[in-house]
Amino acid sequence: MKKRRFWLSCLTIVMLASLLSACSGGKESNQPLGSTSTGGGAQEEKLDKVTFTYFNAVAGKDINTNETRIGKIIEDQTGVNFKIEHLVGDENTKVGTFIASNSYPDVLVPGGSIDKLLSAGSFIPLNDLIEEHAPNIKRVYEPYYNLMKAEDGNIYFLPMSAVVGEYISAPNIEQGAFWIQRRVLKEAGYPKIKTFDEYLSLIRDYAKKHPDEDLTGYIALTTQDQFFALTNPPMHLAGYPNDGGVIIDMETHEANDYADDEITKRYLQELNKLNADGLFDKSSFVDNRDQYIAKIASGKVLGFFDYRWQVGQAMNNLREVSLQTGNDDLEYMALPIVFDENIKDQYLDPPSFVNNRGVGISVSAKDPVRIIKYFDNLLTDENQILSNWGIEGETYSVDENGRFYRTAEQIEQTNKESFRESFGFKYFEYNWPRYGNGSSLPDGNSVGAGRQPEVAQMSYHEGDKKLLEAYGVKSFSQLFAAPDERPWYPAWSIPIEQGSPAQIFTQKKGDLQRKYFPKLVLANPAEFDKIWDEYVKEFGKLKVKDYEQLITDEVAKKIDLIQGK
Amino acid sequence: MDNVTQLRPAETPKADNTDGGLKGFFHKLSKQRALVFMSVPFLIWLIVFKYLPLWGWSIAFQDYKPAKGMFDQAWVGLKHFKFLFEDEHFVRVMRNTLAMSFINLVLGFVTAITLAILLNELRKVAFKRVVQTISYLPHFISWVVASSIISTALSADGGIINDVLLWLGLIKEPILWLGEGKYFWGILGVSEVWKNVGWNTIIYLAAMTSIDPSQYEAAEIDGAGRFQRIWNITLPGIKSVVVILLIMNIGNLLETGFEPQYLLGNGMNVDYSENLDIFVLKYGIQMGNFSLSIAAGMFKTVVSFILLFTANHIAKRLGEDRLF
Repeated sequence: MKKRRFWLSCLTIVMLASLLSACSGGKESNQPLGSTSTGGGAQEEKLDKVTFTYFNAVAGKDINTNETRIGKIIEDQTGVNFKIEHLVGDENTKVGTFIASNSYPDVLVPGGSIDKLLSAGSFIPLNDLIEEHAPNIKRVYEPYYNLMKAEDGNIYFLPMSAVVGEYISAPNIEQGAFWIQRRVLKEAGYPKIKTFDEYLSLIRDYAKKHPDEDLTGYIALTTQDQFFALTNPPMHLAGYPNDGGVIIDMETHEANDYADDEITKRYLQELNKLNADGLFDKSSFVDNRDQYIAKIASGKVLGFFDYRWQVGQAMNNLREVSLQTGNDDLEYMALPIVFDENIKDQYLDPPSFVNNRGVGISVSAKDPVRIIKYFDNLLTDENQILSNWGIEGETYSVDENGRFYRTAEQIEQTNKESFRESFGFKYFEYNWPRYGNGSSLPDGNSVGAGRQPEVAQMSYHEGDKKLLEAYGVKSFSQLFAAPDERPWYPAWSIPIEQGSPAQIFTQKKGDLQRKYFPKLVLANPAEFDKIWDEYVKEFGKLKVKDYEQLITDEVAKKIDLIQGK
Repeated sequence: MDNVTQLRPAETPKADNTDGGLKGFFHKLSKQRALVFMSVPFLIWLIVFKYLPLWGWSIAFQDYKPAKGMFDQAWVGLKHFKFLFEDEHFVRVMRNTLAMSFINLVLGFVTAITLAILLNELRKVAFKRVVQTISYLPHFISWVVASSIISTALSADGGIINDVLLWLGLIKEPILWLGEGKYFWGILGVSEVWKNVGWNTIIYLAAMTSIDPSQYEAAEIDGAGRFQRIWNITLPGIKSVVVILLIMNIGNLLETGFEPQYLLGNGMNVDYSENLDIFVLKYGIQMGNFSLSIAAGMFKTVVSFILLFTANHIAKRLGEDRLF
């Protein structure tokens, strides 16, 4: 009790102090930053302060950008504040109402609904605006213009993956992987495992040895829009990166929907066996995302497949706990699991340009020029450092060779969710026109702090280091095979026309899988084959060939585009 | 039969007036011009908000794209109606819609009327108020919150329902309530009752206050017991309200609501939880296919119209009070 009060009062003091320093420090540091980076001249014109609206189609806390440190500095440079609204509920429903009412926030960052917005003509074309007002946007995005232009030759939104400078790959796993709890590895003596069978038997053994701890062997996320976390693993297990619902052949570049293939059957059958052993969490099929996250954060789950960004919240919580207690048993480690020994894993994303996600200006925006200038101003090296690294001496440091790094305290601070929100990293790192992941600055520093080797090394705690040593690697991603070149990657970014047969196919496929996959996993193992045949028969009624053909054609087009044909 | 004779005199004066023909009509019109002018704003409101939007129905016959003007749309005839009716899910979706409506209708009426009668019989005002307030409360919770409460209560790991059943020894292992399609209608019916029963009693309680107390006194003097009084005085007293509400609710049979099914539904109970609104959301609004949504809306309106008139006609035949 006493201890707790002590920490609470510490926290209060720290927060008060940071509040004060935020107020005073802001004023001092604005001036130089503002004058060096505006260049284009937003400042000379002495524009009035304005507030625009900004909609981001993910859940989050609504905020004004000028309530954050970064946002305040940028407001001082440009006079623009954004009122950020996040998604509540279902994205398509929300966007549907935008379209139906024809009234939008000024800036939109949609997710999967971007095609819908495009076909409704919700974005204004940016070509002329960029040409006239935005030299930085032109510099960053020009190499990708071919991929960004819609069929009518217009650019309607700015993607977030335009790599600037030399490509630096990520030291930690940010994408999909089979995750396993570290205590399982520890108890088994850090075995090097590769196949799905090995992975599952590790989990089985551990659960068998600890029958009284109320452990869950394996869990899956299946709710609403996140159903792909259950349907994607077969593709990864077969040695392919995340191309969505299809596998693209490396030689022929033909798309194959694997929903009715042997690999899907094999994955589900393994889950079915796990379920028969009582190790699969049956509630996976009824839980919502919050319940799923809570279960992982509880530390009772031994393994699961998911993408890091879906479970980030739970992982960060577990990490905070292990930093406090010094025991990382409950944290997870990502493993490149495949079906068979001879398959090369492809979990890491190939460098790619995702051209169906991005940030655009809506037709409701009254002052697109101010907004495009704001975007342009974000794309200076200085402001990219600001929104990724923060402020020198506070959230990062520079050594005598000009290398950026973070001290242990800075790392701890910048990993804290509450700090990321108040400082603004959470709102500025992504979801704006930006230097894409893996970009580097002219002096060789990584733009993203996470990809800077110095930071990655520093952010490893004792447990991490021990684990890395046991596996003989320097960073966690070294366990994974280097990505092969796939110019079309990712195939899930291929736009599908609204209401087209291909789109109806994907909807119907989803409905069918949502109905049959739970049945298959929870069935009596003896009945598995019967239900599978039933599912394949139902699946055969859908027009899968048309869909595959569409993706194949689009992949070919994308390859041609990139090769400049 | 009494009702019918009561209504007759009210209708006859109207008939008398039309005898005067056109002249009589205008005479009356000018005599009541103040009233006519007063009703004009409401007539305009009715036309603007209820009739003008009807031209939007034309969207159902187009491949509607919001960005284009009304005249640039591609006309596709009955394509969207065909998609709706020919989809193999349609029959299932209609079955779920009707079944859930019917369950809600029956449960809703029976429980609300029962609770209203029980409340009416209470002598202690304080206790009555408390019960009323408690039973209203769930009505003000949004379905998003309510469904979280329901799914937590039904959860297989630590949900109260499973815990109680296990404790009573009725089941051997926890049941995944929301994972079994066949339980869904029941869960929904009970949830609707829990959420709305108190609210629904209000109108019946109001109807009961309009019953002349002297009737009860007379019955008591005649030696009628409590149940006889309920059966012979209270129930006939609220009969007209019940019939009118029933007619209106039958007209709304296709409106099962959307939130509870959407929020509690999942892949495992989809065969029982997917109703017409969810189907339209998936294949209409989520795909940007507004035309399909409108087509489904038209279908619902037409069916509601038919149901409403049928119910009203039956009530008329049975000599009951009715809507029109």
